[in-house]
Amino acid sequence: MRRALYAAGFAALLMTGAASAQTLNVATAGDQNMVDYIKDYLGPLFEKQHPGVKVVAVGTGPGDGGSQKIFEKLEAQSKAGAPADFDVVVIHQKAAGTMVQSNLLKKYRDDLPTGKLVTRDTATNSLGTDVSGYVMPMFHSQTAIAYNPDLIKDPPNSYAELREWVKKNPKQFGYNGIKGGMSGVAFVTGWVAAFGGDAAKLEKGPYDAAQKATWEKALADLKEFNRNVVITPGNAGTLDMLNRGEIAMGPVWVDMFYTWKAEGKLPPNMRLKLVSPGMPGQPMYYAIPAKTAHEKLAAEFVALATSPDVQAEGIVKRFNWYPGIDAKNLEGKLDQAVWNQLFADIPPDALSANGKPFPISPYFNDILEAYEKKVAN
Amino acid sequence: MARPSLFGLLLIAPALAMIGVLFLYPLGFSLASAFTGPDGAPSLESFRKAYELYSTDILFTLFIVIVSTALTGLFSIAIAGILTLSETPWLVAVLRSLYRWPLFIPFIVAAQCMRTFLAKNGLMNNTFVALGLMEPIQATSLLDWRGIIVTFVWKQVPFVTLMLAGAMASIDRATVEAGRNLGASRLRVLIELVLPQVAQTLLVGLVLSFVTMLSVLSVPMMVAGSQPTMLTVDMAFRINSYGDYATANALGVISYVIAGTVAWIYLRHNVKREVQA
Repeated sequence: MRRALYAAGFAALLMTGAASAQTLNVATAGDQNMVDYIKDYLGPLFEKQHPGVKVVAVGTGPGDGGSQKIFEKLEAQSKAGAPADFDVVVIHQKAAGTMVQSNLLKKYRDDLPTGKLVTRDTATNSLGTDVSGYVMPMFHSQTAIAYNPDLIKDPPNSYAELREWVKKNPKQFGYNGIKGGMSGVAFVTGWVAAFGGDAAKLEKGPYDAAQKATWEKALADLKEFNRNVVITPGNAGTLDMLNRGEIAMGPVWVDMFYTWKAEGKLPPNMRLKLVSPGMPGQPMYYAIPAKTAHEKLAAEFVALATSPDVQAEGIVKRFNWYPGIDAKNLEGKLDQAVWNQLFADIPPDALSANGKPFPISPYFNDILEAYEKKVAN
Repeated sequence: MARPSLFGLLLIAPALAMIGVLFLYPLGFSLASAFTGPDGAPSLESFRKAYELYSTDILFTLFIVIVSTALTGLFSIAIAGILTLSETPWLVAVLRSLYRWPLFIPFIVAAQCMRTFLAKNGLMNNTFVALGLMEPIQATSLLDWRGIIVTFVWKQVPFVTLMLAGAMASIDRATVEAGRNLGASRLRVLIELVLPQVAQTLLVGLVLSFVTMLSVLSVPMMVAGSQPTMLTVDMAFRINSYGDYATANALGVISYVIAGTVAWIYLRHNVKREVQA
């Protein structure tokens, strides 16, 4: 008797599941905070506007590796002729280019009501690949040098000054190499752009394999530079060491820096500096897989996520990220204090002058590999 | 010799299938991929790349694992020796209740603990400073190769000790008593009488530890910076950053070879013993 009851209950459960089959699967690369953002903030907001729809967030891990996993899954499903499991994906730049080239994404931005609010060129160009129409920036993140003003009164203004400073203050500068997170990668690509010759060519192309030879000197210098620095374990490792006073300076992500400060994990007096000729930043993109079953819902989800209100409240206020759409659309949505905090140490003109994109994909890979060969090995 | 029965084969079939599907197939696949060039023809290109980019890391990995194994052996012998031969009951009681704890802590948790414990301004140095044993200026961070070794040894000593103490407890006490009666010190009894009788167990424990440490990803990733680093980190990086499975597989094959060499030493030793016996 009891077993029959259970069976009936189970069947009922299955049927209700089938009746409200509108489940929107959102896969995000990136840290846990990205998953939480969808699960705790964006998902409930969307569910309220679309009764009967359930938003499920899946995280695939931080860094390019997370995006790589999404790419591999979509590619496998596409090869098998199966519909995609994911309806919306949040991906990094490198994977976005690859996915567009492999026809795994839908060209949806032109029909999106918020599509016209984007002005930065990262919406059309992802590390050298033309992605216009296929992606919608979720936010922009920027790297900068964090420093402890108690220990450094006069922080270096450029990579060249930083090099001199490190010579005089051994083991006071720390970064995480290239295997421990993107802030270290950003620092290294910034170094090659600063000392390795033609920076504009790195960002705009065209790719020329011979360019690698001009980095020799820069990388040899970097190896020398590394003798006097601390290699930290990861993005969080750099912030940890800054917090404990073990290093006085190191490259970090701006959003992570402010979040740690707000949570009391960094002393309130810590400051940022965006050194010239510049350090890279990157967006993360919302994209819709070509074979999703919920195309319309997915587009509505991205439209909501990139609306000025959500960008102001969710992206800027909650995460200290720079908005994915043009910042002028956010005017009046944020109180001045929040806005000012984001630009406190890096004023808008410094950001536009020294906030660089990462190099185009083939150069980017070459730089990482040359680093492994010449500096790390 | 009895013929294998069909029923017996059926019983082990699920287990065999699991090994085949989950271990042998991926193993063969990764071996094949490591020896295949980008154009699909057999090639050693991936190994050339692995050597070019990671030769330092290969040596670093060997260094870390060999030193850790040696230290694990030393500490295990010391602890198991005290547990078996010591005549100070309270010391034995304390040691017995303490030494097994790290066994129950996963590597990743151990790594996270060490990160706060061994840092320059971490728990260990702060304790020394507070006790007046050290000036704050003398504090150095152990979060590099030393940190990895400390974590590995701390994690593996209880495992080897557990095996070793068991073996020591089961040897014939008469040999120990005889040695003591003839005036040998406890250290001499341990080295000349006890150890030879449990050498086999010690070797098994150390070989297993060696292979375990060779395959840990979390500890080198969390405890130390990335230059130089262990092969597991390089493999993860190769896949995550480039989707380059060929070089990662080549690094994997190099790990197989290192682990295989140790297993071969162990097997050879075993065969020799059996021939003698």
